Amino acid sequence: MKKKILIANRGEIALRIIRAVQELGHIAVAIYETPDKDALHIRAADEAIWIGDGPRCDYLNIDKVIGVAKKVAADAIHPGYGFLAENPDFAKACENNGIIFIGPPSEVIQALGDKVTARRIMQEAGIPMVPGTDNLTAGDAGLREALDFADKYGYPVMLKATAGGGGRGIRRVENEKQLRAELPMARAEAKSAFNNDAVFLEKAVINPKHVEVQILADKEGNTVHLGSRDCSIQRRNQKLVEIAPSLIQDKALVDRICETAVTAAKASHYVNAGTVEFLVDRDWNFYFMEINTRVQVEHTVTEMVTGIDIVRTQIKLALGKKLAFCQQDVHIRGFAVEMRINAEDPQNNFMPEGGKTVSVYRSPGGYGVRLDGFVYQGFTIPKVYDSLLVKMTVFGFSWNETVDRLRRCLNNFVITGPKTTIPYYLKLVQDPDFKKGDFDTSFIETHSHLINYDDQASEGSKLAHLIAEIHYKRENPYAI
Amino acid sequence: MNRIVQGMGIAEVLKTVRGANGYYVTNTARDLSQSDYKNRILLHTDLLAAPSREEAGYFSLEITGGASVHVDILRKQVDPFLKLELLREKMPQTMFQTLCRGVNLFGYRPYPQNVIRFVVKEFAKYVDVWRVFDFLNHVPNMQAVFEEVQAAGKILEPSVCFSTGPEHTNEYYVQKVADILAVTGQDIVLCIKNHGGLGSPKRIGDLVDAILQKYPGMVIHYHGHNTDGNDIGRIVAAVMAGAKIVDASDHAFTGYYGPPPILTVIQTLKEYGRQAVGLNEAAVMETSEVLRPERKYYEYFESQFKGFDPTVQIHKLPGGAMGSSFEQAVKGGFLEKMPEILHEELPKVQVELGNYWSVTPGSQILWTTAVSNVQGGERYGNCSGDLKNLLLGKYGPFPFYQPPDWIYEKAFGPDWRTVLAQEGGTDLIEDIDLDKERKTLADKLGYAPTEQQLVTYLQHPNDAVNFFRFEEKFGKVYVLPPSILFRRGGFRLGETLTFKDHAGKEHVIEMGPMQESEDGAETNVYLNIDHHQRHFVFENAVAEAGEAKAIKLSKKEIEDLAKAGDVRTPFTANICEISVKEGQEVKAGEKLVVLEAMKMQTPVNSEVDGVVARIVAKVGDAVQAGDELVKVTPVA
Repeated sequence: MKKKILIANRGEIALRIIRAVQELGHIAVAIYETPDKDALHIRAADEAIWIGDGPRCDYLNIDKVIGVAKKVAADAIHPGYGFLAENPDFAKACENNGIIFIGPPSEVIQALGDKVTARRIMQEAGIPMVPGTDNLTAGDAGLREALDFADKYGYPVMLKATAGGGGRGIRRVENEKQLRAELPMARAEAKSAFNNDAVFLEKAVINPKHVEVQILADKEGNTVHLGSRDCSIQRRNQKLVEIAPSLIQDKALVDRICETAVTAAKASHYVNAGTVEFLVDRDWNFYFMEINTRVQVEHTVTEMVTGIDIVRTQIKLALGKKLAFCQQDVHIRGFAVEMRINAEDPQNNFMPEGGKTVSVYRSPGGYGVRLDGFVYQGFTIPKVYDSLLVKMTVFGFSWNETVDRLRRCLNNFVITGPKTTIPYYLKLVQDPDFKKGDFDTSFIETHSHLINYDDQASEGSKLAHLIAEIHYKRENPYAI
Repeated sequence: MNRIVQGMGIAEVLKTVRGANGYYVTNTARDLSQSDYKNRILLHTDLLAAPSREEAGYFSLEITGGASVHVDILRKQVDPFLKLELLREKMPQTMFQTLCRGVNLFGYRPYPQNVIRFVVKEFAKYVDVWRVFDFLNHVPNMQAVFEEVQAAGKILEPSVCFSTGPEHTNEYYVQKVADILAVTGQDIVLCIKNHGGLGSPKRIGDLVDAILQKYPGMVIHYHGHNTDGNDIGRIVAAVMAGAKIVDASDHAFTGYYGPPPILTVIQTLKEYGRQAVGLNEAAVMETSEVLRPERKYYEYFESQFKGFDPTVQIHKLPGGAMGSSFEQAVKGGFLEKMPEILHEELPKVQVELGNYWSVTPGSQILWTTAVSNVQGGERYGNCSGDLKNLLLGKYGPFPFYQPPDWIYEKAFGPDWRTVLAQEGGTDLIEDIDLDKERKTLADKLGYAPTEQQLVTYLQHPNDAVNFFRFEEKFGKVYVLPPSILFRRGGFRLGETLTFKDHAGKEHVIEMGPMQESEDGAETNVYLNIDHHQRHFVFENAVAEAGEAKAIKLSKKEIEDLAKAGDVRTPFTANICEISVKEGQEVKAGEKLVVLEAMKMQTPVNSEVDGVVARIVAKVGDAVQAGDELVKVTPVA
């Protein structure tokens, strides 16, 4: 039966979800704030409802979103990622209003969103974990707990906001003095950012690999994983490049990590799509980090190597369907890499380039290329949202082939108007360590020279620039 | 063969030339470019000609110096040192020659001694023969260059500039040679520098003879221009009288105001029994075959008026000034006055100003003064800064006589004698701190400059910095042929351009469409570089309100406005100095702005006492007559 599904998000993920909804024959309802009035998701959806001037606050407003969903008689809401996606109150509000929330039940979000609760669940299930504390007690007692922990496991330690996520609310602390100084700041920051001042400590794992596992689970408890992803290439804890599967040579280790992820999902009574994140240290120990209870930005790479449409599956699972396949049906073939093409100037500290108009947009095509974007030629990028323009996901049968294809696609990708991360990635894919598949979370830091690109550096380009100027000026300024 | 090759010492060169049965030829490609193509012949073209020019066996190839060093960076976007390096690669045997203006080097005004020495040292690494002159034939003006050239072990070729008139006797010139030899010693080549192509063949023959009578072993190099169409005659006379080296260039590019064709010189002198020593005629012909297809790309830079000008014997303008004077007359709208300027006023001014040699920078002073005298209504009513400096003897003493008192009075007012007494004579230009300049340049560029960059910067600071930045942005553009670099009116859609870059890599550029953005603010130029699509964005110039209603003010109106404190530029010029600040009090007669036109600087003074309310122009601006410069609020 035709269902009405409201997409409580914007940008590329809104489009991604709309496509899945429409493929399933359902009706996609978009919502938008004023700065998004020219956005593509409005045009792609079957209905689009304006929810306010924003910015951001209306997309984050549970009452408004639920109100709109009821008004248009939506059967379900897909929250995407970010905004309300991992807000248990939102999932709860959906449940209370008889709207299907496309994601796990609110209690699961609640439990896994609270890092300390999550740790307890995982500990009980025997999942390996980085040593850490419970939520620190308020005041001096909390400081004492923190100092004791650091004494026992040694510095550096990670100071984390319990309600944080997506790389936010994390500080690395090098010594006691810094711990004393940062603890109150971390609390204050957590309070203002997440409205929850709870923080805890973890032992720092130095330059780990970030490996995560995609999970799908139905209401009957059937849980499968779709293999691993490597998201080690991060800048200040924000992922830039994601790869499926992990390039760790020891396949048995990767299998163990994936099986552990299934155990973790089952332990938390997980339903729908989720991601179990691990750190892998240099001695090939792996530690549970967290479970993300949403569709990830980088879900595309998993789709490319498994052939399984995760968003479509999410919707089906939420509508009460059972998983249509079991673990034996999941096969990983080849490699996929996603690069987040952001409107940022890498050479200016990745400063966002919002507010600029895309004057030229010419994207690559051909075998093994997938684009999930939402910009078009003439589109002015709103200043008030994130800077992601398009995710370029490239598939190849071998790692070498994938890297070659990445280079080719980046070379053929032309976006002008805003500066983008394209020239930076172009330099990155030509780096020997990247080509070898050898990287951990310190990659961006230890390969800082990659920032020294000049996208017009070649002598041919420079001369072409002059020729273009002679052409443009007509009255040749060099022939006077 | 007796060919002269690069690397021979001065003694061996002189011995070979003296002992040779015949004469040598210098290919003055630089002068050809400067006199007939406004100095625009590109390195690309010279590199095409290099192999056959190397084969030809010239005494030397004059390929740098004069105005070319400046034009290299200003208009041709080529590093003058890189140019010599690349030519040397292709021409290992041929001596390279330069033309140096003594204390003025390759510019228009005297430089400090330490700059002169530094510049000569750096260029001497590439240049084998140094032709040095001074427009007043004032030997001290050339001395620093003489010393540095000799110290570098290069061939020194001091010049006596030649002109005509009652004072220009053989006795005078022979004495001038004596003055030079007293400073340089005997091991030199002596140049008779006939930059206007003045005098008859007989006159030149007599002069060569007179010098050789006094100095029998002297190697004389005759340099002339073909402005009147008769330089072959003078060359023949010079060689018959004993000159050993003569100047000419490749016939594929010969025009009217530069050197005559080499081949004509050879063919003519053959009949007189004089052989061009070491010269390979086939290679001379080959060079012109190679060059001929290139000439059409330089048409724009040829003189507006073509044809020999025998009236040069009256106006005496040097070859290099012919094209530019007509160009200025066309742009300035006074073409109809050219006969009056050239045939009446200029000869008069020459006599009045001491009948010195009409060559850079003296020729520019004569020319601008003559134009100003005819255009301005009142003769010497608006003396340029350079004319004033000339009158004050800043360039050196007048060779024959001082201009009449009334000109001094026009220039400096009734108290001119006091001014002359106080300010007259050559100034000792103080050395500048080269380390400080190096640092300043480094700050401007953002990296440590090479010594060669510093040399270029010291001579033309603004233009040098602009050039270095240009190279950073556009690369080494000498690789582009004139058909690309000098293309006017844009390229055709789909036109394919091929060239090799500085590293030798071949490139193919295919021109794509040009598209304006919707709001008209930008234009996208699409092209394929080596089959990869690229596009470049250009911000469209916003048509300013002023442009639409460009009001042409008369000279009278400009003067009236100036009296009200609204200071406008009186003629087309570049701003080279703003001498005041906003809010500054000024007196009538105080300098506000210095303009530069035709390489001459002219101050614009305040007509009123007052306060500078607003400065409209900025240094480097190109301004048209009537454009606002400065607003002065007169004191009531």
